[in-house]
Amino acid sequence: MTRLPKDLEARLSAVAPSGIAWQAATDANGVTTAWAELADRNDLVPVATLLKELGARLSMTTASQPPAPPEEDEEEEEETEDGAEPAEKPEKPVPTSFGGTPLDGTAYHLAYHFDLDGDTLTVVAWVPQGGDIASLTPLYRTADWGEREMMELYAVVVRDHPDPRRLFIDPAIEPAVFERLIPYSTLVNAASTKGLWDKIAKVRKEVAP
Amino acid sequence: MTTPDLPVSVPETYTIPVGPLHVALEEPMYFKIDVRGETVNAVDINAGHVHRGIEYLATHRSITQTVVLTERICSLCSASHPESFAMAAETIGAIEVPERAKFLRVIAAEVKRIASNLFNVAILAHLTGFETLFMHVMQVREIAQDIKEGVFGNRMDLGAICIGGVRYDLDDEIIAELRDRLDRIAPLIDEVIDTYRTNGTILRRTRGVGVLTREDAIACGVVGPVARASGVVYDVRHAAPYAAYPELEVAARGLPDGDVWSRAMIRLHEARDAVDIVRQALAKLPEGPSNLGLERPDIPPGQAMAKVEAPRGELVYYLKTNDGSSPERVKWRVPTFMNWDALRFMLADAKVADIAIVVNSIDPCISCTER
Repeated sequence: MTRLPKDLEARLSAVAPSGIAWQAATDANGVTTAWAELADRNDLVPVATLLKELGARLSMTTASQPPAPPEEDEEEEEETEDGAEPAEKPEKPVPTSFGGTPLDGTAYHLAYHFDLDGDTLTVVAWVPQGGDIASLTPLYRTADWGEREMMELYAVVVRDHPDPRRLFIDPAIEPAVFERLIPYSTLVNAASTKGLWDKIAKVRKEVAP
Repeated sequence: MTTPDLPVSVPETYTIPVGPLHVALEEPMYFKIDVRGETVNAVDINAGHVHRGIEYLATHRSITQTVVLTERICSLCSASHPESFAMAAETIGAIEVPERAKFLRVIAAEVKRIASNLFNVAILAHLTGFETLFMHVMQVREIAQDIKEGVFGNRMDLGAICIGGVRYDLDDEIIAELRDRLDRIAPLIDEVIDTYRTNGTILRRTRGVGVLTREDAIACGVVGPVARASGVVYDVRHAAPYAAYPELEVAARGLPDGDVWSRAMIRLHEARDAVDIVRQALAKLPEGPSNLGLERPDIPPGQAMAKVEAPRGELVYYLKTNDGSSPERVKWRVPTFMNWDALRFMLADAKVADIAIVVNSIDPCISCTER
C-alpha cells in the first residue's frame, strides 16, 4: 500500500472526464484527508479502478440523503414602490451539487471512503431520486456489505450487485427505513412493552373486585 | 412383508445451522453451513439479529449526546467509539485538544485494549475445553477491570471522552495505584503468553486452523490483529497517528501464518504492549487542563473523517454536520464488519468442531457490526 500520491488529483481528473471537485488537508502528523466529488456518477468505476491499481482499500461506504438547503429570506415579496402588482417571480432554481444533481432533499449523497496506508480519500457521487449507481463489489470485496446496507436503508439502486439481499434488516420490513420518520417506540420494537401492559391489564382485572 | 426397493439418494452435502445463539460468545449471528461429512463446504451468514438503528438515532441527538450514544455501541471497544467520533467533530470545529488530554485518551484506550484482548484469548481457552486456563486469564484480566473501576469508576463504559478532551484526570495517588496494577499485570501477561506459545492443548487446536492468507486478508480488507496475524502490518497508531501516539513508542506486531494461534498471539502481545504504552504515557504526562470545558461545543457545518486503532483494529468514523444541532449523518465502520467476510476463507475446509474456535478468532463484535 502507498500513501496518497501527490499527483492524485490530476490522475483522477484524467479518468473522470466530467470533472472532480478536489479538496485535501494534511494534519500536524502528516496524515492527509482528501475529498473528491464526482461531477458524473458514471465516473465512479474508472476512479475506483485507478485507486485499486494504487493499492487503495475501500474502507467504508456511507449513503445519506441530505435535506434541501434552507430557503433564502423572501424579502422581495414586499409590494413594489409604484404599487403595481409584483412582477411574476421566476421559479427559483433548485440548488444543485457540483455535478448538477438537484439538491431538493431527495438526492442521495454516496461517499466511498478509501484508505491509502493511513491517508483517506473520500469519493463522493450524487444520485438523483430514481437514479442508480454501479456496484463496486466486482472491484472491491469490501463494497459488498456496504452496498447492501445502502440498498436497505435508502431507495437507492445499486446496479449489478452480485448479491442484493437484505443485510441487517428483515425482508418483511418496508424498504428505505432511513427515508421515513420512525417513532422511537417502533424503532426499538416495543412489542414486549405492549405484551407487558396487556399482562398488567389482565392481572388488574383479576385483582379488582 | 417385504421392504420395497426404495431408491436411495444420499445428498452430497448437508446444511447445518450454527447459531444464532452462542457460536462463540453470547451474541447472535447465524451461520448456514454446508458440510460434506464433517468438513465445511460453504458458509452463508445471516445478520441483523441485534440491529438497533443507532445511526438513525444519532441523527436525532445533539452532538454532545452522540458522544454518549456512541460509547454504548459496543462494550469492549467503548472508549474507541466516542474517541473517534469526538475526533471527527473536533476536525470540523477546528478544536485543538490540550496536550494532557491526548495522553489521557491514550491511557483510556490502552487500558481497554488490555481487557478486551485478554477476554478474547480467555474465550479461546474456554472453547478448547481448557477451563483452568480460561479462568486464569479471566483472573488476570480482572486486574485491568480493577484499573477501569478504580480510575474511571466503571468496569466497561469508561465515560472518559468528551469533545475537546477527556472527562477524567489523574492525580498522584491514582497514578501510583495505576502503576502498581500495571506492575502486577505485566508479569502475569508474560506468563500467559508463554502458556499459549507452548501448551500442547492450545497448539493442537489452533496451529494451522482457520488460515487466512495474506492475499485473502488484503482482498477482504481486514484490519487489526486479524490482518497483522496474516502479515498485513497495518496499525492506525503508526499509519495515521493521532492523540499522543506520535510521542510514544508502539511496537509493530505481525505474524506470517494467519491461523487462529497467530491471531491469539498478536492479541496477547498487544495487550502486553498496551501496558508499556500506558507506562510511557504516565511518564510523559504533561501538566495542564484535561479538556477545554466545552459544554456545548460549536460545530459548524462540514464533514470529517476520523480513525483510531480500537482493540479489534481500525475503527472509522464519518461525520457530516449542518446548521442544526444534530449530526446530519454519522457513519462508522467497525473492524468486525470485514472480518465476517474473511470467515468464509478461514472456514473453508475447516472441521465442524473448529467452527466456534475460528469464529472466536476474529474477536467478533456483533452489536458493533449491526449497530
